[in-house]
Amino acid sequence: MPGGGIVALLVVVVLAALVARELRRRPPRRLAAWRVLSAIVIALVTTQPRWTVERSETTRGRVAVLVDGSRSMGVHDRSEDVARLLSRWSADAENATLHRFGSELEPASFSDVEGASVARADESALEAALEALVEGDRAGEIGAVVVVGDGASRYEGPWPDLDGRKVHTVAVGREELRDDALATLEADPVGFLRTPAEVRVTVRRLGAGGVLPITLRQGDEVVTEVTVDVPEGEAREVALPFTPRRLGRAVYTVSIPHAPDDEVPQNDERSFLVRVERDRLRVLLVAGEPTWDVRFLRAFLKRDPSIDLISFFILRTASDLTMASPDELALIPFPTDELFREHLGSFDVLLFQDFDFGPYQMAGYLPRIRDYVRRGGSFAMIGGEKSFASGGYAGTPIADVLPVLLPPVGTPASRLVVEGRFAPRVEPALVRHPLLALASDPSSSLAAWSRLAPLEGMNRVVGVREGATVLLTHPNERLPVLVTGTAEEGRVLALTTDTAWRWGPTTGGLTGDASTFERFWDRGLRWLARDPSLEPAQLTTDRERYGPEGRVRTSAVLRDARYQPLAAETIRFEMRRDGDDTPLAGADAVTDAEGRVELALRAPTEPGAYRVVARRPSDPEPIASELFVVEAGGDELADPRAQPTQLQGLAMATGGTFTTIEDAGELSSFDATRTRRLGARELAPFATPWAFLAIVGLLAAEWWARRRGGAR
Amino acid sequence: MSFSSRSMVTSSHRASRAARVSALVAASVLASLAIVVPEVHALGESTRVAILGVDVGPEARPLARRRLAWEVRKRTSIETVLQPGRVRLDDPRLFESPLLFWSGDRGFAELSEAESVGLRRFVEFGGFVVIDDARPDDPGFDASIRRELRRALGASLRPIARDHTIFRSFYLVDRPFGRVRGPDTVEGIEVGGRLAVVYSRHDLGGAFARDNLGTWVHPVVPGGDDQRERAIRFGVNLVMYALCLDYKDDQVHAPFIMRRRGVGPRP
Repeated sequence: MPGGGIVALLVVVVLAALVARELRRRPPRRLAAWRVLSAIVIALVTTQPRWTVERSETTRGRVAVLVDGSRSMGVHDRSEDVARLLSRWSADAENATLHRFGSELEPASFSDVEGASVARADESALEAALEALVEGDRAGEIGAVVVVGDGASRYEGPWPDLDGRKVHTVAVGREELRDDALATLEADPVGFLRTPAEVRVTVRRLGAGGVLPITLRQGDEVVTEVTVDVPEGEAREVALPFTPRRLGRAVYTVSIPHAPDDEVPQNDERSFLVRVERDRLRVLLVAGEPTWDVRFLRAFLKRDPSIDLISFFILRTASDLTMASPDELALIPFPTDELFREHLGSFDVLLFQDFDFGPYQMAGYLPRIRDYVRRGGSFAMIGGEKSFASGGYAGTPIADVLPVLLPPVGTPASRLVVEGRFAPRVEPALVRHPLLALASDPSSSLAAWSRLAPLEGMNRVVGVREGATVLLTHPNERLPVLVTGTAEEGRVLALTTDTAWRWGPTTGGLTGDASTFERFWDRGLRWLARDPSLEPAQLTTDRERYGPEGRVRTSAVLRDARYQPLAAETIRFEMRRDGDDTPLAGADAVTDAEGRVELALRAPTEPGAYRVVARRPSDPEPIASELFVVEAGGDELADPRAQPTQLQGLAMATGGTFTTIEDAGELSSFDATRTRRLGARELAPFATPWAFLAIVGLLAAEWWARRRGGAR
Repeated sequence: MSFSSRSMVTSSHRASRAARVSALVAASVLASLAIVVPEVHALGESTRVAILGVDVGPEARPLARRRLAWEVRKRTSIETVLQPGRVRLDDPRLFESPLLFWSGDRGFAELSEAESVGLRRFVEFGGFVVIDDARPDDPGFDASIRRELRRALGASLRPIARDHTIFRSFYLVDRPFGRVRGPDTVEGIEVGGRLAVVYSRHDLGGAFARDNLGTWVHPVVPGGDDQRERAIRFGVNLVMYALCLDYKDDQVHAPFIMRRRGVGPRP
């Protein structure tokens, strides 16, 4: 009870006590009446009673009939029952409109009741349909809504405010059903290579019970098979283990056998996608000598928990005189064969930093490194006096995959390097590239680059390979400093300086911010490893699993290879079966100024793995794509039982009536009067100064009467 | 412009001929090396390792850093600046090289606020400071340096365990040595999981210092030339640690890591 309430209660109690005491003295009636009247007025002023007067308007409108068009309506011929009902109602439907709802609200017609009741939508979003209906009724013509459906939706409310419109519900479908189903499926969307994972499914049996085998497949290969005993009418959860064996997207399928009498065989099989990644990015760093650049790069890589780093530094060369026996040195042989023959393929990224291969009998491994890159590995060469042409790479297989062109063999050593300090020039058109985007917007990024400590010295290259992207250049020599590119399936990066470490501590000493070096390499590593979040064009779908003809809401941010937005461009979106370039369906959409675009596509009818592909109409090459699966059942048929309680609850919440399709009367029998609240007025008659004056007056009159009667 | 001249380096160290021969043999066995040393051309001073001195007054062992730089270049693959300079702690040039060698033989006045901030930022941004007490028998420098480290870094020096990487970053070293035998270990301060400050009370610089005529400036006691060699090895290890940090912890485990991973070729 609030404080004011407590005070009012105390006042009333005290007044009651005073009045009772006065009455026990048996005063004259007139005085007793004065005392009682005063006490009542004081109590009313203290408690401040209020009255609320509500105003409403009752009007009669037309009836909007909403028919469930989701696929669960195909069970037990529910949609045929609805078609018969609509056919009956069409005779007196002149004051009614017909709509069907599934993923969205669609207009329908009483002249085509078969089309209105067809069951094909992948969900039954009744709440969204009601909202859309009210939103579209700006003139307020709809007096009531009649919903005809099976209620087979997991939505439990709250229901939208229909502004006084009643919702009458007509339940379709009987509750008895013979169905074995994979009712739920839960799996992590990301799995790690060779790391055990599991998918959890719920098996529900209706109309039968007993042991069922559950099979997990990847393609045609059976991954796991278990059995589960499920009593009739109950459900059991089962975990199916699996271990991803290949990187990339994998489609898995869980299934139970189709029973001959199963009325909903579509929900006997579910599919899911797993993006298989390495648990950590595996990086091999080979450095020709300890330098500051090596030290800061390794420290960053070592500190990042998402990176599994193997590093090898050449700590001494043939010409170094250690003045000690091998037993006194903490050195081990450089395991070239183990690294570059046995385990090369296990690395995601290979970094050569100021490393010359010549002294280590590595010429035989260079073709393997080239092939590793071309098959999809990532390689970066970082500058130094032992890198690029200075490291003897001209004319080698490594030169074949580098994004830069090296000076020919025989070029004097002094012509292979450029000395002196310089602030690299950022290509303004490329400042959105993740390796250059030091800030959230291009102008801030350019300003951030201008604040960095200058670099010192660089390896001279004579050009860049076709298709390579030059991100940084020497301001005077116009030589490429930072270049990215591809070599068949692999990504390559060339940084022709070994003083990028100066973007760390040296810049920190100048500006107080020493983080640029690590931010640069964080982006660099992720770009090399094809981190999806750094791809120039990205396309996503709202779900990974759809039913046949499900609504695939697609959104994309599209940029070209230079990370420039594809602004105001018409983009073709196509639906393709995974692994097949033949478009099954498509639609065009126009991007906004930032290259963003959204649209909805209809999923194919056949179960399987599909892709949404975005491309320019004039170019068959995809800009971006995303994988999804179509399930025969999907979430819509996971629980196809009719759920009249949902419809009952809706009718009760809105003041409507609930009935079954068998008992449904004529359309005109539904109450189409709408009661709208126009507002409420609150009255507080004792919240005025006059009430206070009345108390004073009453008490004064009582005092006068007492004096006159001889009392004190 | 500067050229690497490692191939022309000749040792003038007073090691025995037998030790030198065995070292050369070991060198050829250890690294699977080819015979040809390519001609190289440096990119600039920033690519080389400068062992900068700290300018807070007269330097106790002015010849020490030069000799240490020379020994590091001769013995390892690290390219050092052979005539390293000194820098004030409040000078932006402090951040041109992340390695400081701070030797002192007497107490010094409180650092200015700017110098103290400079030292803290130097360490926080990844710098490594080797501090060498050239007169361990005198408490002056010791008291001053402990005071300033506590003030700048908010941390006190702690003994460094003898299994730390600095004792095996290049040479396998049992304990630190300098001009004097000194304590069994050195002290240090860790910042962000790495050793950022090493403080020696062995007069390392006294063991390194050598004049232009090739004469060692200070006698090393009690171990003589053998102790001097050990001091140089420890100095080399410190420079190697500055550049490689805990790399040796990786290296010794690498074969086991590779085998334990048991991964096959890329799909």
